[in-house]
Amino acid sequence: MSQPAVKTKNLTELSPGGTHFGTKLKDRMFQAGVLVWFSLFALVIIYPMFWLVISGFKSNSDFFLNTWSLPEEWHWGNYISAWDAGIGHFFLNSVLVTVVSVLAVVVLGSMAAYGLSRFQFRGQNILLILILSGLMLAPQVSLIPLYKLLQGLGLYNTYWALILPYVAFQLPFSIFLMRSYFLSIPRELEESAIIDGCNSWKVYWHIIIPMGKPIIASCALLTGMNVWNEFMFALVFVEDSSLRTIPVGLMNLRSQLNTNFGIQLAGLAISALPMVIAYIIFQKQFVRGLTAGSVKG
Amino acid sequence: MKMKAKLLLVVMLIMSLVVAGCSSSSSNEEESGKVVLKFLHKWPQPEFAPYFEEVVKEFEKQNPDIKIKMEAIADEPIKDKLRVILGGNEVPDIMFSWSGEFARKFVRADAALDLTPYLNEDAAWKDGFIPASLQPFSSNGKNYGIPLRFNGKFFIYNKEIFEKYHLEAPKTWDEFLDVLETLKKGGETPLILGNQSPWAAIHYLTGLNQKMVAQDVRMKDYNPASGEFTDPGYVKAMEMFADLNKKGYFMKNVNSSSHDMAKQLFFAGKGAIFYVELEEFPDADKNMKGNWGFFPMPDITEGKGSQKYITGAPDGFIVSSKTKHPDEAIKFLKFLTSKDNALKLVKQIGWPSPIDGATNPDTALKEVAEGVEYMKQAEGMAEWLDTDVHAKVADVYLSNIQLLLDGSKSPDKIIKEVQDVAKQVKSEVE
Amino acid sequence: MIKTFRNRRTALLYIVPALLLILFFVFLPIVLNLYNSLFRWNSFDAGRTFVGLKYYVRLFQDPVFLIALKNNSLYAIISLVFQVGGGLIIAAILEDKLIRRFQPFFRTVFFIPSVISIAVVGLLWQLLYNPEVGLVNGALKAIGQAEWGRSWLGDSEVAIYAVVAVSQWQYTGYMAMLFLIAMQKIPLEYYEAAMIDGASKIKTFFNITVPQIKEMLLVGSVITVIGAFKVFDEVYIMTFGGPGRSTEVLGTMLYRAAFRNDEMGYASTIGTVVFVITLVLSLIQMKLGKSGQEV
Repeated sequence: MSQPAVKTKNLTELSPGGTHFGTKLKDRMFQAGVLVWFSLFALVIIYPMFWLVISGFKSNSDFFLNTWSLPEEWHWGNYISAWDAGIGHFFLNSVLVTVVSVLAVVVLGSMAAYGLSRFQFRGQNILLILILSGLMLAPQVSLIPLYKLLQGLGLYNTYWALILPYVAFQLPFSIFLMRSYFLSIPRELEESAIIDGCNSWKVYWHIIIPMGKPIIASCALLTGMNVWNEFMFALVFVEDSSLRTIPVGLMNLRSQLNTNFGIQLAGLAISALPMVIAYIIFQKQFVRGLTAGSVKG
Repeated sequence: MKMKAKLLLVVMLIMSLVVAGCSSSSSNEEESGKVVLKFLHKWPQPEFAPYFEEVVKEFEKQNPDIKIKMEAIADEPIKDKLRVILGGNEVPDIMFSWSGEFARKFVRADAALDLTPYLNEDAAWKDGFIPASLQPFSSNGKNYGIPLRFNGKFFIYNKEIFEKYHLEAPKTWDEFLDVLETLKKGGETPLILGNQSPWAAIHYLTGLNQKMVAQDVRMKDYNPASGEFTDPGYVKAMEMFADLNKKGYFMKNVNSSSHDMAKQLFFAGKGAIFYVELEEFPDADKNMKGNWGFFPMPDITEGKGSQKYITGAPDGFIVSSKTKHPDEAIKFLKFLTSKDNALKLVKQIGWPSPIDGATNPDTALKEVAEGVEYMKQAEGMAEWLDTDVHAKVADVYLSNIQLLLDGSKSPDKIIKEVQDVAKQVKSEVE
Repeated sequence: MIKTFRNRRTALLYIVPALLLILFFVFLPIVLNLYNSLFRWNSFDAGRTFVGLKYYVRLFQDPVFLIALKNNSLYAIISLVFQVGGGLIIAAILEDKLIRRFQPFFRTVFFIPSVISIAVVGLLWQLLYNPEVGLVNGALKAIGQAEWGRSWLGDSEVAIYAVVAVSQWQYTGYMAMLFLIAMQKIPLEYYEAAMIDGASKIKTFFNITVPQIKEMLLVGSVITVIGAFKVFDEVYIMTFGGPGRSTEVLGTMLYRAAFRNDEMGYASTIGTVVFVITLVLSLIQMKLGKSGQEV
């Protein structure tokens, strides 16, 4: 856990001493050019967010007339109004849906990955291929049938209408990641544990889970991010405003607060900040999770 | 901070949030033995929502055995949402609908309850409505909807700017064009339009179509089972609208400004004329402080349609055909449209009510009362084009009007597409 | 192998819960989708009419389908250039010894947009693009290029590029991070050797960096392309396919058919076609992935 996922290698001692002047000038120019370019790019990323947070404090006319300047008067109330207008509720819904989905994916996924990585049985490969092919499917293909299916089950317009599809769509990839990782865990430990009389559940619980912690954390993070940001299913599968998650809630807020841009922007800022802060705190885990996430195929 | 401590902190935070969330959401589920009615309207805005909350509260107080579960979805999203919701098994008992074809498609699908018997049973209730407000909700002589508002479309103008150029509210389309030309020459933005959601431009076309095409032809075309749109009036109407754009009367960037944003521009005095609904009058008065006037869409002398129509329509509620409590639902609708609550509607949020006599100069803003007077005297209403034709025809109109405004499609090409889709619709509606 | 791990029933106990969920919520809908596409029906009407393959015929004649395909492809190509190409260059520069000092700052900042929800990003950019109050035209004015200003999302010729640009803004840093991590696994000796040979930066980049992270490049490209065919949120939020149908992608086309035009059957047809497209792309990915591993 202490090893950072992204290392900054120390290469400085490699440079073969200050050669002649020309190279140095060239280096300087390269460095300056890149820094200007990157700083511009960074500005393009940071400034809109800064503007978002600042504009969230503005009154309507202030927003229209003084787009670029600081607020004439700081309307802290905008943030409170945005929270009360529903962001607070959407936030709780998002947290609830995300936590339950992540837990389910981690538990069911690690069990399935364990079953697929440790056991030898007939039909194993078919099951594996079946689960992994779930990776390929675009969610919009399932939008309409799932909508009818959830209605048929009476789950439409409940938290389950979001959680169950989210779990099902996140599972294949998590299983894939965890299975590859579990395969790399040495088996000697398990074998001796079994000789000592442990059953397979104990092996799973006392050996696989503790040893698989890094990949489980990555899967949890990846699932969490995907679920937190999911939009399309959330748009169609729930109808009550009391069940909406942040992305859909924000869309509704736009038309609901159609006449107050300050509050709208405050709402956007509130919704964006938790993820940005979480990323800055857990940078290492984020990066590792997403790297793991990229190794599809 | 140590990793574990950080994690613990986050987990604790999350848990407390979840606990808080669960406890707050489970509190309203214990009322058993009561009739629960689901009620869906389209006004979640903080200016309007309190009215509905108060009315519902009062109703529940008077009817302790009925509980209203209210839900609100705003204008643009409700167009999709109603379809999604109606496919479900928990359809709201009472739900918002526009009048015209928008409601009729639910009628065709047997999703809306026939309200005729209830209206006939209670003559006092039925006669309370301005007749023109009930009619657009009818299909084959039966009533399927109860109007809540009686909405019309008018041009509002900035008095100061008009006085500067010695202009008066135009009566005919030619006068209108003259006014616009004068304004443009004076360096003003003659017309404000926010067409990011293209219903804004379609509302212009609603009136133009009605004024340019003979009534019986238009009614035949708007009916999905017989629509053809071959009358030359449709192309002409669209050309007249395109001309406003070609001559540079509209503000810049109409397609990327929302109606609400455009409204702010008008309030800030950045344009002379803006096409709005009656329900927006109170807002205009609040922001313009008397510095505004209004006029209906001017007459078009060569038009084949009646020039005495007003663009607008009632909107209100339909009752689900699947409801288990039709009587209670009607009871609530009666309460909602009672004279007391109609007066409250007019006074509190300034909307024109379809209840006869509720919208008068004492209760409403002077201009709103005048607007309703216009509508009462009109020969009929031109209902919103985007809710009065089949959804697929509306979609062709809506998406192409943006292309008309950015200059990439011509009126006759668009109408050709309308004709094609109308043909397709005709073959599908049995 | 120990006997415990040969018990099929025990194995299934671990696998079945996940498997059932996947079968029911991921696979069953695909079959249902195919079935649904053979009928004319809408969400609120109980009745449905069998139309056979009519919707498939119509789809392939529908000009909007061509627009959507074109837009999805445009999404894929531009994303390949900026996210994969641009990300690769940014990563390589960040790893350069002259810049490495600044790497932690830049890689953190570049990555931030990818953790923000698309809903927030879309709504934010809609305002930034607004010609009246938006920062984009304002910034152009500030650098003296006001005439470059446009009604970005309201002009059918540029709207799709404006939407695609937002995705580049959001994900280029993410791709750069992936490549950065892959690059850090390249043994230092390779670079030392190149340095002793006096190879230029550009030569080193093409001769060492690119071949060494080939696999990650491939993976990145495939994710990007498949992602481009799953696009929905950005377009729905920023333009809903407009102006006109100029920014329509397959995802929004499906949604519009289903929930605006009351043609669930047609929407299902589009869904089935999306399924086939992503399936083919995934198969290509697997094939490429395999050959990548062999190298």
